[in-house]
Amino acid sequence: MSTTPEQQKREESVGLMEYSTESLVPFGPIHPALKEPEYFKLVLEGERIVNVIPRIGYVHRGLEKAAESRPWVQNMYMFERTCGICSFVHSLCYGQAVEELTMYQVPRRAKYIRTIIAEMERIHSHLLWVGLMGHWAGFDTLFMWVWNDREVVLDLVEAIAGNRVHKSMNAICGVRRDMPENMEDRIVERMRFLTDRARYYRDVIDSEETMLKRTENIGRVSAETVEKLCAVGPMARYVGLKRDVRLNDPYAAYDEVPLDVITTTQGDVHALLRLRLDELVVSANMVAYAVENLPDGPIRVKVPPIIPAGEHSSHCEAPRGEIFYFVKSSGGRTPDRVKSRQPTMANIPTALEMLKGQTLADIPIVLTAIDPCFGCMDRMSFYDTETNKSWTWSGEELRQYGINYYFPERSKKQRDLARAVSSSTNQCLREDF
Amino acid sequence: MPQRKTGAVVPEMFRLMLEKPTTEAYPFKPIQLPERFRGKLDIDPAKCTGCQVCALVCPASVITMVDLGTRKVGDRDLKVRRPLFDLASCILCGECVDNCAFNALELTKQFETATPNKASLLMNKAIVK
Repeated sequence: MSTTPEQQKREESVGLMEYSTESLVPFGPIHPALKEPEYFKLVLEGERIVNVIPRIGYVHRGLEKAAESRPWVQNMYMFERTCGICSFVHSLCYGQAVEELTMYQVPRRAKYIRTIIAEMERIHSHLLWVGLMGHWAGFDTLFMWVWNDREVVLDLVEAIAGNRVHKSMNAICGVRRDMPENMEDRIVERMRFLTDRARYYRDVIDSEETMLKRTENIGRVSAETVEKLCAVGPMARYVGLKRDVRLNDPYAAYDEVPLDVITTTQGDVHALLRLRLDELVVSANMVAYAVENLPDGPIRVKVPPIIPAGEHSSHCEAPRGEIFYFVKSSGGRTPDRVKSRQPTMANIPTALEMLKGQTLADIPIVLTAIDPCFGCMDRMSFYDTETNKSWTWSGEELRQYGINYYFPERSKKQRDLARAVSSSTNQCLREDF
Repeated sequence: MPQRKTGAVVPEMFRLMLEKPTTEAYPFKPIQLPERFRGKLDIDPAKCTGCQVCALVCPASVITMVDLGTRKVGDRDLKVRRPLFDLASCILCGECVDNCAFNALELTKQFETATPNKASLLMNKAIVK
């Protein structure tokens, strides 16, 4: 039986398809299972999910636009605040792109210190995630234990950088603080402790019925699908794709520190748990190696506040996957354009595929499995769901929209003037006014 | 497949029962802070020369320079400026401390800054004589 668009719209607004066995369930934007707001429209058949329609953009903060009005160094602190968990790697990635424009060399010791902090951040992010998985699987004991062990690595970060989360360690062409003296033994000993704990948690998740029943055969996707949807980080490695920026395009000191990229072929949420715990062991070994083989020398090169004209991109392996920064300079004190892309943005299509075929009760565990950070990923674009049209605005158009919105009287005069002067005004802009 | 068994966590539970509690009795006992801890910003007014480098480098626009009149140096009248800090928006990055050529600024170990009155976080030590 065919329905007119109006009819269909009315049925959708009610939330139930009248002539079908499928039902629509809104999930979010405010939901206990989501730590950040995001909306998913779920199409259910019984309690099985057959389709998911996401709506992103609830936590858009205008970071890229704000970057255009701040000096180069100050942007580094702003991009560090993109995420509250993987903060260091954002400033590292942005800094690397700017360093390529300056043509100064980063000292070798600074590269090692960057590697140490980045790997400690990976350990703390993975531990946090394992705890959350325990929480959503109904195994809160694991959550408490893992988060207690996470304090070990956070204390080390605090001793090195002075703050648990926002390290403020990076400078353009170097790091701001040297490693503290007489801390090597303590770091190596703590890393051994964390390695033992990770192996123990691996035994727990492999043998406890609670975890196995909630994670085995949940969220299965084939390697072909994941490759087609361009997933990054652990989301690509858990189906056997060897994708890791540290291996494929080494940055910092990753070409000198021994790295072991872990992959599994099991392809379910349980495999993700094992993979991240194994990665944690690798990271702990890397930190211990880097601390023991820390080279001598300066930690920073002073760079003038004006960066030469040009454009460059950089990518790094954050705990959640590959992050990407593009920087464009016209030779001034502020960047012309900064573009950042976060791993959650790349992993959302794969998460939707993972959700298909699962029951409603599995949504929290599958969504947590991709280690989502919705706040990181939201950027600006327009999409009209009724006409299937998408477009973007330039800075000038955005400014005009702001003027028109707040001062309609003034904007009417300006609009008449603009029409008289030029006929090439953006079509979308006109329609909107 | 791994061997399935319940109770892998039981020995660990007994071990943790015998250990001391993880939580710290913080408000009743002072907590140990690391040497490099970055806490509330402080200024030594005697060392500050009003060069306004801190206001230029601050990423969070915490520091504004306030004009305090002029002073005579030789034949010239020089403006006297001193920084006013709005610590409510300070991100504790320490960029101003690194850039201060006169060592007037420092990040203290004071972290208990919660207050119902936001205006109390305005630090005007360098302005008020």
